[in-house]
Amino acid sequence: MPELGRAALVVALGLTVYATLAGGLAARRRRRRLALSAQNALLAAFAATAVAAGVLVAALARHDFSFVYVAQTTSSDLPLAYTLSAFWGGQEGSLLLWLLVLTGLGAAAVAFGRRAGQDVLAWVVPVIGGVATFFALLVVVVESPFATQVAPAEGAGMTASLQNPYMIAHPPLLYLGYVGLAIPWAFAMGALLARRADERWIVATRRWTLAAWAFLGVGQLVGAKWAYEEVGWGGYFAWDPVENAALMPWLAATAFLHSVMIQEKRGMLRVWNVVLVVLAFALSLFGTFLTRSGIVASIHAFAQGPIGVWFVTFIALVLAFSLYLLFTRLPQLRSRTRFESLVSREATFLYNNLLLVAFCLTILWGVLFPILSEAIRGEQRTVGPGYYNFFFKSFGLPLLLLMGIGPLIAWRRASLRALGRTFLWPLGAAIAAGVVLLALGAGSSPLGLIAYTFSAFVLASIVLEFARGTRARRALGAPTWPAAFAQLVAHNRRRYGGYVVHAAVLLLVIGVIGSSLYQTVREEALRPGQAMTAGEYTLAYRSLDERDSQNAQEVRAVLDVSRNGRNLGTIETGKNTYPIEQQTSNEVAIRSDPLTGEDLFVIADQIDPDGTVYFKVFVKPLVNLIWIAGLVFVLGSLVTLWPDPREARRLAARSERLRSAEA
Amino acid sequence: MIALSVAALLAVFLLYTSIAGGTTASVQPSQLAGKVGTVQLAGKVVGPVEREGRTLRFTLRDVEGTATVRVVYSGSVSDQFRPSRDVYLRGRLANGVFVGEKDSLVTKCPSKYVPKKGTDSGSA
Amino acid sequence: MTVALVLGALLAVLCVVWVARPFLREPEPVDDTLAEPEARRLALLDERDRALGALKQLEFDHRTGTVSDEDYRAAVGGLRREAAEAIRALDALDAPPSERKEVALVG
Repeated sequence: MPELGRAALVVALGLTVYATLAGGLAARRRRRRLALSAQNALLAAFAATAVAAGVLVAALARHDFSFVYVAQTTSSDLPLAYTLSAFWGGQEGSLLLWLLVLTGLGAAAVAFGRRAGQDVLAWVVPVIGGVATFFALLVVVVESPFATQVAPAEGAGMTASLQNPYMIAHPPLLYLGYVGLAIPWAFAMGALLARRADERWIVATRRWTLAAWAFLGVGQLVGAKWAYEEVGWGGYFAWDPVENAALMPWLAATAFLHSVMIQEKRGMLRVWNVVLVVLAFALSLFGTFLTRSGIVASIHAFAQGPIGVWFVTFIALVLAFSLYLLFTRLPQLRSRTRFESLVSREATFLYNNLLLVAFCLTILWGVLFPILSEAIRGEQRTVGPGYYNFFFKSFGLPLLLLMGIGPLIAWRRASLRALGRTFLWPLGAAIAAGVVLLALGAGSSPLGLIAYTFSAFVLASIVLEFARGTRARRALGAPTWPAAFAQLVAHNRRRYGGYVVHAAVLLLVIGVIGSSLYQTVREEALRPGQAMTAGEYTLAYRSLDERDSQNAQEVRAVLDVSRNGRNLGTIETGKNTYPIEQQTSNEVAIRSDPLTGEDLFVIADQIDPDGTVYFKVFVKPLVNLIWIAGLVFVLGSLVTLWPDPREARRLAARSERLRSAEA
Repeated sequence: MIALSVAALLAVFLLYTSIAGGTTASVQPSQLAGKVGTVQLAGKVVGPVEREGRTLRFTLRDVEGTATVRVVYSGSVSDQFRPSRDVYLRGRLANGVFVGEKDSLVTKCPSKYVPKKGTDSGSA
Repeated sequence: MTVALVLGALLAVLCVVWVARPFLREPEPVDDTLAEPEARRLALLDERDRALGALKQLEFDHRTGTVSDEDYRAAVGGLRREAAEAIRALDALDAPPSERKEVALVG
């Protein structure tokens, strides 16, 4: 069957080339049938890629080791779920996934994107076709998933730490995010190519951008949870290049999501928005590239094959293409509207944008520094976590504050008197919270105290927004308070969904601060019978157990946990040994306190033959707020994304007028 | 306009912090000779690996080369660590042996995904 | 091996048919040109929608208390004027040519 896979990919390549060339010609010469044909080609490319994907999935499911890829990424004793997830576990498969998602999302976006206008859509097709051609070329010519060999008796197996439910979800979620960012970029390019200066492409891609951004965010949180539980060093984020690779496009996309609101409402920042969407897409390509070539890892010369050169060339092409279009259309895009006041919601959004982009570029600088320093100085230098943390705090704190200020300020111009009134309650709440926290001992970290005070401000501002809106709705005639609340959210989904997302970010910030600035770390070597303390906890090392599971040998140190004299039960931590893969994995013990969200995190760093275990214990307050934030984030995104029949009717009427204008 | 000036300010700031300090040289064993101070050493682990209590002794070799150096390290070790894996750690050369900083050893994951850490080097 | 090639060929044929479909359905089209929207109308439509949206936003902010009574009174007049102008310009665009010239001369 590998021949079918290869053939399907060749067909897909032909189709993407056709979509690009024919689509470009159709848009240029305004040929309707040709444009439609190119659009069909995109959908057909998706179908062909799906066939190839099916072949690979089938090969994985039946453990067909004659496929080099299957032999490299799985073994016959691997549970089915992980076997199937090996689809994206290696280079070739993940590129195939990129192509699949791209053609799928692309075809759908064009089919449902009539709002953008036929002239724009005619250009969107060749743009997406061009990107799809790149990835199709990669899987056909450079890294084919369908290379065959004489089937070995057994496959290489999957790395132990990747055999984790979070690792099944993490790559697809990230990919939906990365690839999803291609859609708004393609529509922006389409609008520029069609010489349009209006906002229709933004309205048409609004939900796509939101969804891509949400997937990217959730994907990163899932990755962080995996790192926390599975890699188990006691943290969830370490500013590693692959982590930064996903963070950067997410920051750019966050900035973009905010500034397009200004463009929609005031017609301003058109050039800035194009720059942002190009930045977001280029960074997502860069992120894809970072995770597969080792070029910026601090270990030099790690590139696996020529793939790095392909990616760098393609990213350069994308940037050159986008910037060329932007420059040649610059006069058209310039808007006459100016910022009326430095104290307005537009200005707040602009400050938010500047901070987000500054932070994003700071990270990019840190990631590229080793390459640049080597090229310029001949010596590769890396920046440490200290660099990232410094800027995270410098930019993060003002951003946090802005999150609370934004909703309280009016559009266009806000008088200082009005500000004084609206700020009163949140400021009061912040000061009160600060005093209480100080009394509770939060002063041990002044930075944490400041951050918490800001958080209280933001929380109060969000609650106030919901309260005021509900009250206004009630005054308009809603029968009950719950009904008023429901109507408020239903009629203003984007706004209040956005506030829910802000609340999620707030939870995340509180969790991060608690678990990093207020954490306790203790290390001790214990023999069976000995005990140690960490924070308020006492851990008594009882014994060492050994047992076997489906594909591993497990060693566990059993500990009794108590806090302030109260017995909290038993935990186990240790290591697993996987004979086929010849690997060991750390299995940490995490005891979460349901009331306080605090985690007791125990690692058995080293287990000596005589039973002595070197334990590393973390007490991480509020860390579970981070995962709860993920759920709230999903909820908020759903609210924002949920189709609104009234809004749909309004937009349909608008595009009807547009179509009659075109006729 | 505002954006440009802020960007310029930021660029200056970034350049300053990059040059003034906070960066570490990243080298392989062949480039270690003559380096003083803390560096980040990267390379491939060559066995045998000896363990004495919490101290690890092994040899690190250029990823693509033959130069080697003996390494002494105490601290957390990721479960991915073993001979033929690529790692990096911070430390300094002392009497011909590279002494690693505590908890700074990072082992690269073989399957092209997230590097395995044995450290809480990050924010949390 | 042959099964794979047959399936592959089938896939290729189906794709080609699907791609050729617009031409197969309309071998002799009445009009094969891609519609092009009137730029002026688009711009006016957007201005009108923006003005109306801003009014709605102001009302909402006033009702929820973000904007005070004085600020509301100061802003609402200007916004209403902007909206009215945008709607008028759109109507002028729709008006028959003779009327359009009159409006241009007067306004």
